Amino acid sequence: MNNLQRNGLVGGMIACCGVAVALWLWHTAPKREGASSLTTSVTPSAHPEGKVTVWSWNIAAKSLKHLAPVFERTQPAVKVDVDMTGARMQTRLMLSLAAGVGAPDVSQFELTDAPRYIATGRLTDLTSVAAKYKTMFPASLWDNCTWHGRVYAIPWDMGPCGVFYKRDLFQRYGIDPAKIETWDDYIAAGKTIFQRSGGRTKMLPLGSNSLRPMFEMLIQQNGGQVFDDQGRIAIDSPQAREALSVLQKMRAAGICSDTALWSQEFLAGLNDESIATYPIAVWFAGTIKDTVKDFAGKKADWGVFRLPALTPGGLHVANLGGSVLVIPAQCRNKAAAWAFVEYALCTKEGQLTQYKSMSLFPAFLPALQTPTMDETDPFFGGQQVSRLFATDVTKISRMNRTPAWGEAIRYLDQELSQWAAGGMQSDGFFENLALKMHKRLDLPIAPQSPAASLGRQP
Amino acid sequence: MNTPAVVRTPGQRLRSDLWRHRHFYLFISPFFILFALFGLYPLLFSLYLSFVKWDGMTAMHWVGLANFRSMLDDEILRRALVNTLLIGLLYVPPMMIMAFLFAQLLNLQWLKMRALYRAAFFLPCVTPMAVIAVVFGLIFSAEKGVLNYALLQLNHLLPFLHLQPIPWLTSENWSKVAVAILVVWRWTGYNMVLMLAGLQGIPADYYEAAMVDGANTLQRMRHITLPLMRPTFRFCGVLSLLGTIYMFDEIFVLTSGGPGTSSTNLGLYLFNISFNDFRFGYASCVGYTVATVVFIGTLIVSRRSRQETGVA
Amino acid sequence: MQTQRNLPLQRTIGRALLTIALTLLALLFIFPFYWLLLSAFKTQAQIFTMPPQWLPHPATVRNFVDLYRETNLPRALLNSIINSGGHVLLALFLCSLAGYAFAKYPQAPGHGKLFAFVLGTMMIPGAVTLIPTFLVMVKLHWINTYWAMIIPGAAGAFGIFWMRQYIAANVPDDLIHAARIDGCSEFGIYYRIVLPIAKPALAALGIMQLISSWNNLMWAFIVLRTADMLTLPVVIYLLQGEMRTPYGMLMAGGLLTTLPLVLAFLLFQKQFISGITAGAIKQ
Repeated sequence: MNNLQRNGLVGGMIACCGVAVALWLWHTAPKREGASSLTTSVTPSAHPEGKVTVWSWNIAAKSLKHLAPVFERTQPAVKVDVDMTGARMQTRLMLSLAAGVGAPDVSQFELTDAPRYIATGRLTDLTSVAAKYKTMFPASLWDNCTWHGRVYAIPWDMGPCGVFYKRDLFQRYGIDPAKIETWDDYIAAGKTIFQRSGGRTKMLPLGSNSLRPMFEMLIQQNGGQVFDDQGRIAIDSPQAREALSVLQKMRAAGICSDTALWSQEFLAGLNDESIATYPIAVWFAGTIKDTVKDFAGKKADWGVFRLPALTPGGLHVANLGGSVLVIPAQCRNKAAAWAFVEYALCTKEGQLTQYKSMSLFPAFLPALQTPTMDETDPFFGGQQVSRLFATDVTKISRMNRTPAWGEAIRYLDQELSQWAAGGMQSDGFFENLALKMHKRLDLPIAPQSPAASLGRQP
Repeated sequence: MNTPAVVRTPGQRLRSDLWRHRHFYLFISPFFILFALFGLYPLLFSLYLSFVKWDGMTAMHWVGLANFRSMLDDEILRRALVNTLLIGLLYVPPMMIMAFLFAQLLNLQWLKMRALYRAAFFLPCVTPMAVIAVVFGLIFSAEKGVLNYALLQLNHLLPFLHLQPIPWLTSENWSKVAVAILVVWRWTGYNMVLMLAGLQGIPADYYEAAMVDGANTLQRMRHITLPLMRPTFRFCGVLSLLGTIYMFDEIFVLTSGGPGTSSTNLGLYLFNISFNDFRFGYASCVGYTVATVVFIGTLIVSRRSRQETGVA
Repeated sequence: MQTQRNLPLQRTIGRALLTIALTLLALLFIFPFYWLLLSAFKTQAQIFTMPPQWLPHPATVRNFVDLYRETNLPRALLNSIINSGGHVLLALFLCSLAGYAFAKYPQAPGHGKLFAFVLGTMMIPGAVTLIPTFLVMVKLHWINTYWAMIIPGAAGAFGIFWMRQYIAANVPDDLIHAARIDGCSEFGIYYRIVLPIAKPALAALGIMQLISSWNNLMWAFIVLRTADMLTLPVVIYLLQGEMRTPYGMLMAGGLLTTLPLVLAFLLFQKQFISGITAGAIKQ
């Protein structure tokens, strides 16, 4: 009987395994008809109709909500429903992309995340409809919306960088912002302010945990990269070394306050005299206005100057942040979805409406050439702030952002804060970082990097 | 010579046996079909996934042991392990002690309305975490939470304590405590019920005999209750071990693993690398490794317990 | 003599103190429910008032109205009922059927090994099979359908074990033989004889399955993709936006999600607890 029992068991097991193996074969079968039929392109329509659901968050969502009725006046047959998505939006979106069901018709991404979502192959190919706008957005932004020569996302807003400074402090300590041409000038000015204020005022917040944004600005200015054109790890480069040496100079000069981005001290610095400048992107203007409003007492007198260059005559621009809109491949009403995306992002009207309502800085170049961008801002002492930030945005250098960008940047962040905490030992910093990325990301190191010839280091 | 009907080959006998019991196989077949689809196949496929790099959408790449290697220097995994351990240490002892205490009290014959108390302590385990974690979020709020309010009121009573409002959910250290409090609240009743059943399984005449011998309450506890409750304790311990490692809802809703990764345990980390990062291969690898270690751990515990009972 | 006279008094005081302590602890455990109930009838401002309002004055039903208007609550409730109801019914059927088979066909070849195999599957942690199960759902086109919530786990090993134990102990073999002699089919025996006797065990299993499927958050979050398919816990979870969470509405929805379970639990408390302890004793 025992023998028979065993036979029964074996039979059951074989049956189970049979089902499992069948499933396995069916699963790993190379043909994925679902995927291939999904990745389609848009056929635009002059009279689209139907409902378009949009997922977006934060200020961007508010901006689209504001824009939706304006758009619906131009396309009465389309109804736009902007969903201020709740918790865990990115997880839910990826799940829907992976499952092939449940994604919205239009979705927002951060520009830097776009390559990762695009690489899933689950977004609509916008190459044909986007072709006519090729010259109307900065090339650096298109770069991150493109995968193997095809366009899958449209740039929305961007974050050109500059330096927000407190005029009253600059005046009191005799600094002329117009004379700050390079980062060396900036550091020298910082030292002067620090000395003349008796150590009360530091030049900028540059906490050891928040070095990465500044590093990113710097490598954009000298043409450095994290990944080369082939997606290989190119962080170990002379440009990156130069950027790190600037960070080192800043921190060694004693002009940096060691506060983390967005921390309480960081925001408090907006209204006391602990910090004189904030080198950051244009969207920070909104934060300053919002935050300062809540403080009691005298407000600082704010101004903006352009980002210092690395060398005299060098680039004064860099970009931090910005978003894109995409249409998931599973969207059933691509014509209507495209009509909304096109209106929101590729028309002066659409972009300027959003600029005026929520201060989203247009990535659409024709919108930047309008007189609206010349307006002065009383908060910044009547400066033409938008014009200042709009200057030379087409010169912003391209950053090769691959699907691995987010993870790579995380390692950069970690290593930079360890570097700062451990006495700023720059020797071998990028070799180690490149190796770490190589191991974790499973990507090759670019051949021109010294780190590629590992093991032959002196 | 019509023997074939009498002397059958084993194969024939088996076949007729199987046929005679066809209803048995029919009735249990739904389990095996569902298990093959949603249990065995996933188990095997997950093992296969441990050796690939895949996001579920694009092409799969065989990477051999690379996933296991990257596990070795995955700082967040290490942190998740430490967090899991810390959260476990924070909640298991108080929960077990309270559960045992409650079970003892509810086992007292003179106590009235025992069912009502039992219901009160047990109710937390049946409630949806999606809801109750939000309620706890309100209770834990640093500025406007009722728990900090109560702490500050304590200052009037016991001014020497100098209690400050605690940033339950916004501090890297306290977030684990907040999670632990929620878990204690939720699972004490469950363990209490198990221990109550254990206590009720101890024959009353053991105690009577001990009383006759003049043993006091403490001695009865030490020599009768605790030794006889050991299997129950062990069962509760194994459940808590699994519960701590794979805990998800509580953390997902209350802190989402934050601030930073300060309250990310293994369960949430597995979810994150699976469905936030879509690193299906790596997630399977981590899941498999953890499950194997846990499995071996529980096996050792149960073998030891079997040995103990065998000796005793 | 002295001590003996004092004992009743000491004992009474001790018991009173214990009762009071226990009552306070019980109230502490009940407190979050009280807070949930209370907050559901408070405005956002009242929820965050310091010192806290122990009773909402004035009480508002605005949260329920908002919830009805701004979320698809009736639909979520319906989804929850369909998913949990379907899951419970299917689980009761499959587990009792298999439980009956394992209890009353001990002679079937492979019986013992198969049963051991069923019990062994309890050792597999869900965390390991999560991703492939999701992929199976995608392949079956079950994502965003009720099937994804109802079918997997409907024939759980614990349910089978639980039903087997009960049926083996409570359904007399003679009864089954008699029915078989009367020409009753095997399924007829299960349906007409075993099921009625197993009602208490079914109630216990049903309530356990109901609670776990009603509360299910992770799997529902993964497989339910569009707003019209979400269950109550997911709707509640998603109300927590990154900007401003409407706590009043959340609490109102939470109350509606919790109430059915609390009622079900109070009604079937005994069965539920017996089910849990059975699991422990088996170990």
